Amino acid sequence: MVAVAENPSVQSSGTGYRTVASRAQEWAKKAPTQVAMRDKDLGVWNELTWGEVWDTVLDAANGLLALGVEVGDRVSIHSEDRPEWVILDLATVAIRGITVGHYPTNPHAEVEYTLNDCGAKIHMVEDQEQADKVLDLPAAAYPNVQKLIYLEPRGIRRDPDERLMDWQDFLVLGREYSAANPGAVQARMAAAQADDVMTFVYTSGTTGPPKGAMLNNGNADFAIEIIGGTPERTRGRKLPSPKDSVLTFLPLCHVAERIFSTWHMVGFGVVLNFAEGIDTLNANLREIQPTLFFAVPRVWEKLHAVTMIKGNDASPLKKVLFRPLMKLAMWIGGQRAANGGNWPIGARIAYFFGYFLMYRSLRERLGLRRCRWAGTGAAPIAPEILQFFLGIGINVYELYGMTENAAVATLNMAGRNKLGSVGEAYPSIKDSVRIDEKTGEIQTKHPGVFAGYWGKPDKTAETFTEDGWLMTGDVAEWVDGTHIKIVDRIKHIIITAGGKNISPSEIENVLKTSPFINEAMVIGDRRKYLTALIAIELETVGNWATKENISYTTYRDLTEKPEVIAMVEAEVERANEKFSRVEGIKKFRMIPKELDHEDGELTATQKLKRSAVEDAFRDLVEDMY
Amino acid sequence: MSFGRPHLRTSYEQDSAIFPTWWQKGAAAFALLFITLMVLGNGAAAAIPNWLFGATWLAPFTLVIPFAIAALGYNILTGVTGQVSLGHAFFMGVGAYTAVALGGKGDGGAKACIPFHENLGLLESAGECGLGLPIWIWLPMAGVLAALVGILVSPAAVKVRGLYLAIVTVGLTFIGLHIARMLPEYAGDYESGRKWPKLDIRLWKEETPSIDLNEDGKWFGLIHLTEEQKQFFFLFAILLVMMAFAKNLVRTRTGRALQAIRDRDVAAEVMGVPEQHYKRIGFAISSFYAGIGGALWASYQGRVSPIDFSLLLSVEFVAILLIGGAGTIAGTMLGVTFVELLPKVVERLTGWLAGELDSGGVISTIANFLLTSGQQGDFGPVSTSPTAPGWPMSVFLWNPVIYGVLIVVFLIFEPHGLFGIWLKFRNYWKGWPFSY
Repeated sequence: MVAVAENPSVQSSGTGYRTVASRAQEWAKKAPTQVAMRDKDLGVWNELTWGEVWDTVLDAANGLLALGVEVGDRVSIHSEDRPEWVILDLATVAIRGITVGHYPTNPHAEVEYTLNDCGAKIHMVEDQEQADKVLDLPAAAYPNVQKLIYLEPRGIRRDPDERLMDWQDFLVLGREYSAANPGAVQARMAAAQADDVMTFVYTSGTTGPPKGAMLNNGNADFAIEIIGGTPERTRGRKLPSPKDSVLTFLPLCHVAERIFSTWHMVGFGVVLNFAEGIDTLNANLREIQPTLFFAVPRVWEKLHAVTMIKGNDASPLKKVLFRPLMKLAMWIGGQRAANGGNWPIGARIAYFFGYFLMYRSLRERLGLRRCRWAGTGAAPIAPEILQFFLGIGINVYELYGMTENAAVATLNMAGRNKLGSVGEAYPSIKDSVRIDEKTGEIQTKHPGVFAGYWGKPDKTAETFTEDGWLMTGDVAEWVDGTHIKIVDRIKHIIITAGGKNISPSEIENVLKTSPFINEAMVIGDRRKYLTALIAIELETVGNWATKENISYTTYRDLTEKPEVIAMVEAEVERANEKFSRVEGIKKFRMIPKELDHEDGELTATQKLKRSAVEDAFRDLVEDMY
Repeated sequence: MSFGRPHLRTSYEQDSAIFPTWWQKGAAAFALLFITLMVLGNGAAAAIPNWLFGATWLAPFTLVIPFAIAALGYNILTGVTGQVSLGHAFFMGVGAYTAVALGGKGDGGAKACIPFHENLGLLESAGECGLGLPIWIWLPMAGVLAALVGILVSPAAVKVRGLYLAIVTVGLTFIGLHIARMLPEYAGDYESGRKWPKLDIRLWKEETPSIDLNEDGKWFGLIHLTEEQKQFFFLFAILLVMMAFAKNLVRTRTGRALQAIRDRDVAAEVMGVPEQHYKRIGFAISSFYAGIGGALWASYQGRVSPIDFSLLLSVEFVAILLIGGAGTIAGTMLGVTFVELLPKVVERLTGWLAGELDSGGVISTIANFLLTSGQQGDFGPVSTSPTAPGWPMSVFLWNPVIYGVLIVVFLIFEPHGLFGIWLKFRNYWKGWPFSY
């Protein structure tokens, strides 16, 4: 073990390094009756206090010890977001184990790959569906898995497999172990080191198999202190506090949700509210009205689309008000965007009227009425979407980071918000970000940079420059010398037959601002002109078709309707107006099926696997040239 | 913690709260305060026009309260349990005559009381009977006895549903009228009725009541109140208690069982709700309310005759429920206001218009257009003479006609009544800026 490293925020003391687990313990000591989490069950949000959470964490940690988890052993979790996810995560870190999360949507093959790659001894599954992904194969297929802990007993085959164990039995085991070996967990916690790896976060794997990025306690501590502890990110410069609520709905195995949920919770006492699922997001948002809200662009696009559809579907009087007020919102948003997110006096006055007429209730309906900081990241977002949300008074900021640097890279700050950019370096570590002059690649160097890919030292070496900077793989450019604008992934840049460099995601994002277009993929590398594969959004286009009296049966049928194609063509033309002629989409084809993680066309985070899509629809692509 | 998060429910208690939000709590408190101040400030005379009610403006409001209580009971049976009954007037009568038998005094006048069992076969010359007991005995007993009678008739009533139940209960009203005719020593004269015990609170049969409700004076040495104000507060307090009980009932296991029966009796039984048992409970509770309402009404009026508890009164409750909105307390209250209070306002209005007939000006023209005074029969559809036969009709004859039309209109266009209109209105704004 390396001694406590030269980490600026190290708090070394006799009680071991300050891990997420020991932070949770501090809260349990300081405020045992304070609400830490809410979980909806049978229509009621049950509240768990810090005292209860920590007691369960201790039971689980003791249970892991009883099952023989040693320092550095992996414990993996395959579940939707729920309190047990966070509890087992904290318990694992408490005994110096390593948490590995799997996306709930991961199909069999991916589970087999990642579970064996990380070599977890203990695998927790939510229910029968996830358990079957392990149980369907012979035990030899998972040589490392010793115990399979399940949360929902319904449908679990008890008898045939002795690896299975009920969560409640697991907690009882922990209590028995703790009675026999008091203080065992505390002893492990006291020995915690800054460079103890605490989690593997599997990268989404748009190219090749996923890689397990190792984050250690030092990285986590750094991310908590930097991202959570930057008061400049909110208007009013208030740090997160127990008065804040977040809605946990993105997969917890992703670094972004881990930071904005678990790490904000242990770092600042923010209350976690577990959404029932992605489908109930709107309803849950309305109930919780979170004060801090981080979402991926897809969610923002969806919220925007829902607003537009419902608003245009409303009764006559409402519609008469809705349309001009939405235009006004865009105007206000534009004014604010031009002023770094601040309120010019004109926008303020316009907002005052809009607020009473509509924006207040609209925000309530969206569940963002009390939201004081909203973030977007993990994928590019169209500035128009952000402009709209700024216009209805939601302070939304784009930020940038990646698993490999614990999501610490750049962010937009209150009063300095530049739409279209991902912001600037964190004020306390200004020199941690640079753009390589030759390649235009953005690079970072700070204590949040990860410890390497698990079992892939060659890949790890590939991600660092010779002077130790992390290569993000994103091409970026400076905006006004302070802010950074991401152009695209280096790998995605298209060089046309004419020799012009084009960033496809810029064009794709403009296409995706149309509520009818769900996914777009621009093609044109070494070709004469640009083309696109377009996937429509079933809900909105279906809605549109119904209104236009176009009858359809399936998704595929809908994509083949000439009226739908004509409508999409108009959308494409609209997008083309924003670009020069070479950057315009000459032809496009509709993807005849809904893209899916299961079929390998999307990653677990709903990112397009470009090569897979290009292969699957090769004939469509060739047809266009 | 729930401030600003009106949809966040962290317990089932929150979910079934009567006033779930601070807004509603505030509105309820404000309404109570408003009513109290209106009454204390003697109607804040400006707010209630003098020409409308005159000095005794409080009387019609007070008179409506017993009906409101009885209507709450009718709502439990018909609105919550879904059993259409036309026997509510009968149960009110049971309550009223229980009150008079227990609380009334022998007339002390011309004839002595000869109790029923000693008077078999004579059917004449009996005085008015009563035990002269205080209100804390006769009022609860009025409810209890009505409930018992309800349970007594329930074996016949719970086995039928819909139209058949309505017919069975219509029978009750006629049986009631017949019994009243047979027992003049309790019921008084069939047409002119008899006197009821006054609303005042005594410990036992002593001369001066502990709390006097029939004379102006200071209450608890604090506030000077008139007779009307005292009676209003007394009845209003009872109404609030009864409302709270009715509202709580629907939130209990029993209440949910009753609603299950209403929504689909077969389905309720499949889910394990003993249908007949709960229908009986519904009947009993509803009758209890009717009994209390009947006793208070008769006692407040001072003189009620058996004919007042006829089928017409039962139909009034149907009107209250259908116009107000079945199944909700607020709807019931709206219905009572509309069906019971409005006619009284119209009556007064007609009287006032009649006075303005010859005054000239706009009001006089309107009055001329609407009213017919005397026998000469000019154009107006409303006769100022209360006993006018045929066309033009008197205000009193117009009332049932209007109920009938309104029942039809509401059944066709707004089955959820006035409360349904309010709900539509509220949901329109609740959904703002969307429609769903």
